[in-house]
Amino acid sequence: MERRTFLTTALVGTAALALGVNLYIPEHIKVNKALDSEHRLLFSILLPVFLDDALPEVGSLRIAAQNRTLDTIIQTISLLPADGQAELEQLLDMLENRLGLLVLTGSMTPLMMRKPDELIVMLEYWRNSFLDMMVIAYQGLRELVLASYYSCPEHWSRLNYAKPTFLEE
Amino acid sequence: MAIPDPIVEGLASGWKHIDASQLSQDQTLEADVVIVGSGAGGGVAAEILTDAGLTVIIVEGGPLKSSESFNMEERRAYPNLYHQAAAMKTQDKAIGIFQGRAVGGSTTVNWTTSIRTPRPTLDFWAKDKSVKGLSRQDLDPWFDKMEKRLNISKWEYEPNRNNQALKLGCEKLGWDYTVIKRNVKGCWNTGYCGMGCPINAKQSMLVTTIPAALDKGATLVSRAKVIKLEHHNDKISAIEAQALNEQMQPTEFKLIFKAKHYIIAAGAIHTPTILLRSNLADPHQLLGKRTFLHPTLLSGAIFSDSINGHSGAPQSIYSDEFVWKHGTASGDLGYKLEVPPIHPVLIASKTIGYGKTHASLMDQFNQLQVTIALIRDGFHEQSQGGQVQLTDTGFAIDYPLNEAFWRSVRRSFGSMAELQFAAGAKQVLPITEGAPYFNSWKEAKSAMETLDLGPLKTVVVSAHVMGGCPMGENTKLSMVDSQGNSHYYENLSVMDGSVFPTSLGANPQLTIYAMTARNATLLAERLKSSS
Repeated sequence: MERRTFLTTALVGTAALALGVNLYIPEHIKVNKALDSEHRLLFSILLPVFLDDALPEVGSLRIAAQNRTLDTIIQTISLLPADGQAELEQLLDMLENRLGLLVLTGSMTPLMMRKPDELIVMLEYWRNSFLDMMVIAYQGLRELVLASYYSCPEHWSRLNYAKPTFLEE
Repeated sequence: MAIPDPIVEGLASGWKHIDASQLSQDQTLEADVVIVGSGAGGGVAAEILTDAGLTVIIVEGGPLKSSESFNMEERRAYPNLYHQAAAMKTQDKAIGIFQGRAVGGSTTVNWTTSIRTPRPTLDFWAKDKSVKGLSRQDLDPWFDKMEKRLNISKWEYEPNRNNQALKLGCEKLGWDYTVIKRNVKGCWNTGYCGMGCPINAKQSMLVTTIPAALDKGATLVSRAKVIKLEHHNDKISAIEAQALNEQMQPTEFKLIFKAKHYIIAAGAIHTPTILLRSNLADPHQLLGKRTFLHPTLLSGAIFSDSINGHSGAPQSIYSDEFVWKHGTASGDLGYKLEVPPIHPVLIASKTIGYGKTHASLMDQFNQLQVTIALIRDGFHEQSQGGQVQLTDTGFAIDYPLNEAFWRSVRRSFGSMAELQFAAGAKQVLPITEGAPYFNSWKEAKSAMETLDLGPLKTVVVSAHVMGGCPMGENTKLSMVDSQGNSHYYENLSVMDGSVFPTSLGANPQLTIYAMTARNATLLAERLKSSS
């Protein structure tokens, strides 16, 4: 079974369900947080914010584009040098635990419980921070998500960009 | 469509190529000359030394790729052909750096711009950096030779719209501009040079000097990361390399290379790194210092008509209007104006913002013109460049961005906006946090003085890493002499952009070709006469 298939057939964020809270989780993402070593759930929360207006409007296409981007993000991370991977892993781990969230965002509320507007406030706080660490966190996630999304040929139609076809002829 | 692939054909004809990822035991190889690196320096040196009848081994850390695997997509090109999947940054993350990592080095992925070393640069090196015998008069025969060898000639076709805007803006403003010379033969004008040329038109080292050297019996070892040079007294005795697997991770196998002479041509990041790691003599602590980047700023412009900046020769016009305007070593730092190719990942990642604002910019992808300003660093006393340093896990590049730099950034954003409006832009967007879209040059001009610039706010990139192992006759200023030979080891030379005492103020490939051609020819004569 492919890794993605495994993750998407696992249970929805168990810890959160146990709390009985109403989470902001895209419906198509079904990830067991305990098994989410690739931070798929976290990125599924951030993607719609970073890619707002870039993602297709039609529901099924939008879901496909987000899943495709999640796959590509995992692939992109695997291509980074060891130092870069370690830095990113540290950031993602912080965003997935409450103490880390408190340090980075001033609140312990898990990201999956925050609404898109609140996530924008968080990103803007990092983006305009006087602390380099915050700005680097914002830029690192930004570049990772946007580069991963626009690297996929299926996301180029909106740009009216296509590579020449002579190689396929 | 079948496009002849010289690498595939060469390998089938019996080239000596060792892909270190396939090794099942340690290896020791010997030759007259071992060359570390296969880019602009290593490739040219390999051909000249092989032509002279010497046995040559070329050691390359990256993989051997060819047009067969160049599919014109950034998602494949960046991880396969660039250091750190094109995501390399300086230590403080303020500058993104693009460097090639494959056989052919950065020549496999550059944008083909071929410019002779500017005279003021060579004059400055002679006067201030103790460089001898490298005037334009001395170098011109070598430029002639390499331009002929690599089919470098003026781009005679119509510039694409991205470059045309640069030309038109210069014409309207009465600014200097030049039609670029490119190293191409049979170019299809597609615009994907940065992803590896799929039709083998680009005359990179991958399809010219490296195949020529291999045809004449040289050995190429790819995916072999050089760890250190063994040395005793004033001689290098061996080079030790680590085999890498297909994922570019170290395997358990090592390679030892032995030669009469060793050439390091690993580029301005890895040459100093290797020499530092080897603990070579460096009494004046010069290695890795004065590393230059041509730190580069971007200005976007939205046009009413289609620009299609992804299509057509990526660079065909440049302007030197501001490169030397305030002198060489005084006044504000000069900057060269060029344009980059516009492809989705490059533009999406090197612009500002996310969500609606970013999507809105990307919606205008084909109306987007981008001009870049390459800051000429290393001449002014307040422009000392950066430093390549060893770390526990590899290397880091520290490059402080100071007031003198930011003054030039501000001026360059103004110049680019003025140029883009003169060329007919509807709106101009300096790529720095907080900058709005400007609707006229008048509006932009008045706002430029208060534009909030700084590290991590302003997008700064570099594709030209230079310095770190400077040349010259004064040992207090240089590690190698003006012919690239080590001051301290009789059988060691350096032949790449790391020997530049400053940046060039021009794209570096042709300078490296010509200097290496001269230095490798002189070395071949010396080695032959001593054997």
